[in-house]
Amino acid sequence: MSVIEILTRVDAICKKYDKYDVEKQRDLNVSGDDAFARLYAAVESDIETSLQKAETAKNEKNRASVVAINAEIRRTKAKLLEEVPKLQRLAMKKVKGLAPEEFAARNDLVQALPDRIQAIPDGGAAAPKPTGGWAASASHTNNIKFDSDGRFDDEYFQQSEESSQFRNEYEMRKIKQDQGLDMISEGLDTLKNMAQDMNEEVDRQVPLMDEIDDKVDKATSDLRNTNVRLKHTVNQLRSSRNFCIDIILLCVILGIAAYLYNVLK
Amino acid sequence: MAGADPEKLIAKADKLTKLTLTRWSADWRNATQYYEQAATAFRFAKKHEKAKVAFEKASKGQEMLSSSWDAAKHMESAAALAVELSIWGEVADFYKRAAELYNECGRAQPASDALAKGARALEDAKPEEAIAMYTDAFSLLEEDGKENMAFDVYRAATNVYIKLEKYTDAATVLLRWAVAANKSNALHSQCKAYLSAIIVYLSAHDFKQAEKCYNDCCQIDTFLGSDQGHCASKLLSAYREADVEEIKHIAKSSTISNLDHMIIRLARKLPAGELVPMQVESLENEEDLDEDNLT
Repeated sequence: MSVIEILTRVDAICKKYDKYDVEKQRDLNVSGDDAFARLYAAVESDIETSLQKAETAKNEKNRASVVAINAEIRRTKAKLLEEVPKLQRLAMKKVKGLAPEEFAARNDLVQALPDRIQAIPDGGAAAPKPTGGWAASASHTNNIKFDSDGRFDDEYFQQSEESSQFRNEYEMRKIKQDQGLDMISEGLDTLKNMAQDMNEEVDRQVPLMDEIDDKVDKATSDLRNTNVRLKHTVNQLRSSRNFCIDIILLCVILGIAAYLYNVLK
Repeated sequence: MAGADPEKLIAKADKLTKLTLTRWSADWRNATQYYEQAATAFRFAKKHEKAKVAFEKASKGQEMLSSSWDAAKHMESAAALAVELSIWGEVADFYKRAAELYNECGRAQPASDALAKGARALEDAKPEEAIAMYTDAFSLLEEDGKENMAFDVYRAATNVYIKLEKYTDAATVLLRWAVAANKSNALHSQCKAYLSAIIVYLSAHDFKQAEKCYNDCCQIDTFLGSDQGHCASKLLSAYREADVEEIKHIAKSSTISNLDHMIIRLARKLPAGELVPMQVESLENEEDLDEDNLT
């Protein structure tokens, strides 16, 4: 952090907590009797805060907060502009203890106030322009707005730079979104076609499956019948013990035969 | 019996079937057995010619034993061997005979399968023969009411026609495909068949036919409201305005990329020829007439 930053920060903090500075308040209260001086001081402080806010708005990265700050500044400016006629009337009044030069000076000050108020940068021209940029034809309405604002000074160009940047960013984002959506739609098309083909294929296979089902059912029942009959037959032939002996002997004989076959081959 | 020389088996079987003074009736059962064994032995030994002959005789034997199913199976094996030997005439004959035998059993599906197999084998060598067999194949299934099994046959037939550049015939097959799809309630295939037909007509530089086809197909609600219908109308209007870019763009779209690959190839080649600007004028005249008729 550099020295300058520290200094500015300290200044800002001091200004913020000025109201707790008793001595300063006493000085301010000196002009407490003088309505004009009070009102003028209030207007001055408002202008100061608005200028500060404008500074922060310029450095702010978040667009939403920029817009919010600018809106606040514009509200303050409108309020101040209303106060200006009051000030003018107060300036006309004669106050005791006021030097004639000071009186003249007051008038000048009051005259200078409207310009100073208007000079506060509020990004006012920029705000409607980005929102106007959302619609294609909005640029025409923006031009109309500019004309009614009657602003043809440097700030006009500065704001159009910001807003054109903003609009470019918006356009690019929109294009990227469109590209993404295109890809998604292509994928969905493919999916839809594949799904419909699968649907038809499955429909085609349903009657085949039914046929298979019937045939397999028939085969199972046939097999079951055959198994039962085989069991009966085998049981009739031999009792189980002899049957096992039969089978073992049979296997032995087959083994011997196979061995002989292999040897003789 | 196992391991016996196949030649000897054939000789024995022939003896059994030849009628001589001593033998008054042929013993087909045993003979067929011998023939079958000999045929498998020959096939294993890769002696295709002899195997083929053996299978033929086995099939004849089975016929005599009135089992058309086995006879047809043997015929198919014989035909497969003929394909390996590239004797195309015999291939066609054998497969057709096999299909007949399957039909005798009352089984249309294997019959059509046999014809389709034969046609596939003959595609390169004898395309007209192949087309005839394909046509028989799907006619068989249509008669039997099993069109939903015939889609592959339609597709194969269309491909052969397109290869031969007989576009009107290809479109006819496609429209028959659409009818079959309609009967089997396969609406997606139906719409795809219509779109393919329109593309085929356009490839044949026959814009009027394509338009007529489109108008006919629009009578059918499913096509009218489907992706394929919209794609077809876009394609035809692009043709009318002779907008080459638009045609190419539509040909790359996903609707067309989901059709058969032959059709995709045709679509990518659109617009073919320089007839494009001429179509515009002829169509304007037609439109005037249509308006008159309406009023």
